[in-house]
Amino acid sequence: MPDQGDATGGTYGTDGARTAPSAVRVEGLWKRFGEQVAVAGIDLELPAGKFIGLVGPNGAGKTTTLSMVTGLLRPDMGRVVVAGHDVWADPTEVKARIGVLPEGLRLFERLSGRELLGYMGRLRGLPGEETDKRATQLLDVLDLAGSQHKLIVDYSTGMRKKIGLAAALLHNPEVLFLDEPFEGVDPVSAQTIRGVLERYTASGATVVFSSHVMELVESLCDWVAVMAAGRIRAAGPLADVRGSAPSLQAAFLELVGAHGRDASGDSLDWLGGNSGTVTR
Amino acid sequence: MSAPAASAGASGTSGAPSGAPSGVSGAAGTAARPAASVALLALTPIFVRIKLALLRNGLKGSSKRKAAYFSSLAFALVVGFFMTLGLGLLRGNAHAGTVVVLLAGILALGWAFMPLFFPTGDETLDPSRLVMLPLRPRPLVAALLASSLVGIGPLFTLCLAVGSVIAVARGAAGAVAAVVALPLLLLGCVIIARAVATANVRLLTSRKGRDLAVLSGLVIAVGAQLANFASQSLFQAGGLSALEPVEAVVRWLPPATAVGMVDSVSEGSYGLAAAQLVLTLAALAGLLWSWERSLTRLMVTPDGSTISASGPVKDRGGAGGFWSLLPAGRTGASMQRALRYVVRDPKTKSAWVTALAIGMIVPVFNALQGTGSVYLGSFGAGMLGVQMYNQFGQDTSAFWMVAQTISGTRDAYVELRARAFALALVTLPYTVLVTVVTAALLDDWQGFPAAVGVALALLGSMLCTGAVASARFPYSIPTEGAFKNVAPGQAGLAWGGILGGMLASALVCGPVIALAVWLNMAEHRDVSWIVLPVGVAWGWLAAWAGLRLAAPTVARKLPEILSAVSKG
Repeated sequence: MPDQGDATGGTYGTDGARTAPSAVRVEGLWKRFGEQVAVAGIDLELPAGKFIGLVGPNGAGKTTTLSMVTGLLRPDMGRVVVAGHDVWADPTEVKARIGVLPEGLRLFERLSGRELLGYMGRLRGLPGEETDKRATQLLDVLDLAGSQHKLIVDYSTGMRKKIGLAAALLHNPEVLFLDEPFEGVDPVSAQTIRGVLERYTASGATVVFSSHVMELVESLCDWVAVMAAGRIRAAGPLADVRGSAPSLQAAFLELVGAHGRDASGDSLDWLGGNSGTVTR
Repeated sequence: MSAPAASAGASGTSGAPSGAPSGVSGAAGTAARPAASVALLALTPIFVRIKLALLRNGLKGSSKRKAAYFSSLAFALVVGFFMTLGLGLLRGNAHAGTVVVLLAGILALGWAFMPLFFPTGDETLDPSRLVMLPLRPRPLVAALLASSLVGIGPLFTLCLAVGSVIAVARGAAGAVAAVVALPLLLLGCVIIARAVATANVRLLTSRKGRDLAVLSGLVIAVGAQLANFASQSLFQAGGLSALEPVEAVVRWLPPATAVGMVDSVSEGSYGLAAAQLVLTLAALAGLLWSWERSLTRLMVTPDGSTISASGPVKDRGGAGGFWSLLPAGRTGASMQRALRYVVRDPKTKSAWVTALAIGMIVPVFNALQGTGSVYLGSFGAGMLGVQMYNQFGQDTSAFWMVAQTISGTRDAYVELRARAFALALVTLPYTVLVTVVTAALLDDWQGFPAAVGVALALLGSMLCTGAVASARFPYSIPTEGAFKNVAPGQAGLAWGGILGGMLASALVCGPVIALAVWLNMAEHRDVSWIVLPVGVAWGWLAAWAGLRLAAPTVARKLPEILSAVSKG
């Protein structure tokens, strides 16, 4: 397992794309809530122009990390540099260059989808006409045109994620941060989101997204960082992190030390039709 | 634990016999087969027991809830007792009939509207919980009726009903009529509530229904003000005889007809009484029929809850109309969003409409009663000015979207200023209007300019302190529940911010108030118009200074504000 314990991403390796500057650089990031340490000293360097997955079990600190990286949560310690600018010292430069879709925070739900985009675009300083033009295209591509005049409070989870994504893309950011963008999203909407993101990274932009669905990360990302208990366990190109393991899932379980906990032995041996054998 | 069961049981036993027989006779009419009646006999006690268990379990664990329950029970019993006593004392009074008939009407009205505003009150009555059970509609109606007779509300209604019939029943015939009327009134109230709730259950469980429930705070706040002034003017304007025309109508509206019947019998008009009795019974039968119908429909049709919850809103954004008059960029966009939220967000709407209504009621009604002053016109400005407090809490956790676009003091200033503009856009014309109406009613045009000046100075000061409080003392506003306006643990912060802010506002606009008072005291009323320009300038300056003062704090503390407003 390469880069284990050392998460500065010194060896991007295989494709030799060392030339690209890093999109995000995190140094010694700490956050504790009362007694609980949510993020315990993260150092991370994410390459630009990649589709980057931040994976980890629930409670690993993914959301806390992304919140601190995007300026929504103040870290106790550490430094975050996005697109060459310090998030906390130079917010003007950073906020214009990033798009964010957080998890667990509301949208302005009493606006319709189109109104939300119009509002966000103007807050971002885009001219009204340009905002409306971009909004129309985003609503079309994300398959929301039919519901654009419905209030967001009446949207489904998938539609919320899509309108949140549209709001995050509206100002054409360099780096896009998405917290669990596929959580609770139906397959059709997921495919739509995926298509938009792939097109976006193909143009040279960076996507950083968190997930605990390994198959998804494996099929989407070319660079992954594995988080557990507030620390980075591994980071690097997908192939390097996966190493010799048959799948990212297997590599991940090994990394976070979750092996040997599957249902074998005597427990639950009564479960199932042909009692005694347990299949997973 | 035995006390609630005992007291609820007492009301249950007093209610259940009156509920069950009507159900039995109703079911026996169609379902003569023994199986059906067995099911019926079993169902009613089961539902009553479920209701008692729910009451009991609701009290387990939380001592706060226990205290709330017992104090409301005690309150209902005490008020019920005194109301019964008071009504009993009305016996023989010439207006007794008027009072009890109107009281019954109000009671029934309250029961009809209660489920719309307090839909979560009773779980046994939510038919969607029973959909999977094989139940016939008739026995179910009987069982639901019996279980809805258990509780504080029916107990209180029973007290009032007893008092009402005591007040008007005279002679043996009157007593018989009273015994008949008592269950009819109680059943009428309960059945109205259930029929309304069941017919609207789709609405009540949808988003729109929850929105409606949030507005109940508004109804209570404004209703209390109106009731206050109505009772005052009633006692001034020659007493209860003023209500007789209303009573003549309500007397014929079931279930108030039940009480009307007792009155008619006591006065010897048996024909009238018979008509009222027939009307009452017919209305109860009709309500039961419609309740059963909607219940049957609910139990056999799948729930399509959110499908019809909202139609698409019309696209009024962007081009054309009023919105195109707003400035471009953040200022216009934020104003537009703030104003849309006043109309669309139930919490914001409730707060605004309450402020608008009370801001009008207090000066105008005081003027009508001859106790007013043209300076009360600033009441509305003050009420609306409070809306400037906790601006970011009103955004809920959606504030992150604003935070993402604020990258410095300038952005924060423009954002706060836009919100102040939105507030002023409504408050300025409103304040002038209220003051004009008040001045016209009092015919005090000399004081009018000064009153507007004071009101605007007050508004400016509220915007000033509101902006600072929004930046320094943000707190979360839970979106559900009409009476929860502060997230747990932040009440001190909220009250401290608002009370401190109001004191500070009074201080900030103190010089303008002092000037107005001095001009009035020193008999310089002819030059009191000077307060208008002074007030406008002062208010504008105060608002500007407040926004300037608050903006750096907002820009510096974005993550802290976000976490403070995300607890709801």
